[in-house]
Amino acid sequence: MSREVSKTPESVKLESSEDLQKEDSNKPPNYKRISDDDLYRHSSQYRMWSFTENNLRERRKQTNDRAVSMINQQLGKFMEENKSTLTEEETNTLNVKASPLSMEEELQLINFYSKKVQVIAQHLNLPTEVIATSITFFRRFFLDNSVMEYDPKNLVHTTIFLACKSENYFISVDSFAKKAKSTRDAILKYEFKLVESLKFSLLNHHPYKPLHGFFLDIQTVLHGKVDLKYMGQIYDRCKKKITDSLLTDIVYLFTPPQITLAIISLEDEQLISRYLGLKFGKEDATEASKGESDTSIENKEEDEEKEAKPSEEIELNKLLAILADCKDKLEKSLSVTTDEAKRVAAKNYYCQNPSILLQKLKRKLEASNAESPNKKQKVEE
Amino acid sequence: MSSQFKQLEKLGNGTYATVYKGLNKTTGVYVALKEVKLDSEEGTPSTAIREISLMKELKHENIVRLYDVIHTENKLTLVFEYMDNDLKKYMDSLTVGNSPQGLELHLVKYFQWQLLEGLAFCHANKILNRDLKPQNLLINKKGQLKLGDFGLARAFGIPVNTFSSEVVTLWYRAPDVLMGSRTYTTSIDIWSCGCILAEMITGKPLFPGTNDEEQLKLIFEMMGMPTEATWPGVSQLPKYAASSASFQQQHPNAALQGPKDLKELLQVNCKEKLDDVVINLLHGLLQLNPDMRLSAKQALHHTWFAEYYQRPTN
Repeated sequence: MSREVSKTPESVKLESSEDLQKEDSNKPPNYKRISDDDLYRHSSQYRMWSFTENNLRERRKQTNDRAVSMINQQLGKFMEENKSTLTEEETNTLNVKASPLSMEEELQLINFYSKKVQVIAQHLNLPTEVIATSITFFRRFFLDNSVMEYDPKNLVHTTIFLACKSENYFISVDSFAKKAKSTRDAILKYEFKLVESLKFSLLNHHPYKPLHGFFLDIQTVLHGKVDLKYMGQIYDRCKKKITDSLLTDIVYLFTPPQITLAIISLEDEQLISRYLGLKFGKEDATEASKGESDTSIENKEEDEEKEAKPSEEIELNKLLAILADCKDKLEKSLSVTTDEAKRVAAKNYYCQNPSILLQKLKRKLEASNAESPNKKQKVEE
Repeated sequence: MSSQFKQLEKLGNGTYATVYKGLNKTTGVYVALKEVKLDSEEGTPSTAIREISLMKELKHENIVRLYDVIHTENKLTLVFEYMDNDLKKYMDSLTVGNSPQGLELHLVKYFQWQLLEGLAFCHANKILNRDLKPQNLLINKKGQLKLGDFGLARAFGIPVNTFSSEVVTLWYRAPDVLMGSRTYTTSIDIWSCGCILAEMITGKPLFPGTNDEEQLKLIFEMMGMPTEATWPGVSQLPKYAASSASFQQQHPNAALQGPKDLKELLQVNCKEKLDDVVINLLHGLLQLNPDMRLSAKQALHHTWFAEYYQRPTN
């Protein structure tokens, strides 16, 4: 993001226009200016948690493969141990119902529980940024850990509590446990595993700040041409959509300002095209030369080569193409139904606990056996 | 402790942990091992969480590097880049008899430049240090200076007003914080930088107060008592009225209330001749009104540093 495009409120505070002038006139000829884009490229979010779609799939595949082979080994061992006693029906049931989850099924469960994290964190009345960080931590944890290794249920409270700590929102574990109807031990059990899985990278850049910045800038660029009351209304809707976007893979594929622009554009496509046209259109080359990121993560390697020249020009068409792609992906993100999640959760449970599946089967058979003589009796009577 | 590191002597106590010197047995490189006890009352301490979280973002040659975090049974070890010394110990070592000595001015300039470089990077990343003091500035034999100890640092968002006012070590604490302001930003770190610059020049802390009241008194005696005219809004600060009243009482003669000549005062304890350029920078850092203080970036552009930024880089 360039200083001009997404001036966040704190940078407004740090560098009033007067300061900037003062700074510019004092600026020595050789002084290297670090752009906000450069700063973002140095962030751990960009370095460690930004992927291409292929990278992302590869990573999930790896996690899934590892867990699948572990589960298959366990299941194989279970079958071997119980070979002599297993009936044909039991073997069939095991094969159908106790098989490991696919990568897609894992993702369904993660998506379902991500939503849970959001709902619970909102219910606990936590600030927006803490809720956002909770969701982010939760989803990152399950990039490298399978739901077959760690039951997502057990990480919901842990991620919310860690997010409180890292966002400096103080709450003691006991009062958190009380509010969340959990226990201290349950909350803390996987805390370090979580911190470790996050590779100690805990600082997040959510799109809320760019949203604020873009709204200020849109009002400047389109001064007198936008209705302030209307802007207030779509601001709130955009904020909601940003939180929803954190529940998807969008955050791995695009930068926060890109996501923000795509979301505002979903609300009001015309507003964004007018704004970007004025901002980066050909007629205003000087403004454009100050540069907003036109770098999608898809082109990560290319970016790094370009780093040396910070004042690269924004290509409006390229930016619009990125936004269109981002919007498309946002609209295609599906939510998971409770029924679907239940089915996957049951499968996840049985593949880890085949003996319980067999017990259930036995009980079912016994129940139907016990029932049938009764029926017979009734008929005879 | 992982067997990869050999624990050597204790280096000191950080804000929430003990620091040891360590040796990486595979590479033979020294490291600083910051050990955090996990008494598990609250799980991993949030100070450690925040320091780790910030250090992961701050890769800069004037900020001490966090290499790794190691978790064992009941403690967490943060593996940091090792530095030979800190600025406080170094200045103490220069003391002759009972009289502290300032550093040579060319070294003062080099250290101050590096301090501001590191700080500008923190501020660009929206991170406040909040606890700058000579003890937390690590140095080595090559003359490098790096910011260390981010135990109290925090990321700042949109107006930061939830800080406790008990953060920065008293001597380096800004007057706005001392008067109870809770909406401070990067300017608090800049005040500390000014105090440190003066201290490097003379070898003596600029405002060595023992409590909040005395600290303010020392600052006002040297820099003058702020008024609504020089600092709009100052009278709204919680402790302004009280500190102003006691200042007037102690200094009834209005003629003596104005700011003193910093150059004259510092020159007494400095062997080399001070020029107006460094005093000008000092004034820019030590503005009572936080809005008037230079930013770290602006300070780096100050003429006093011309020899660094005019040297071709890369």
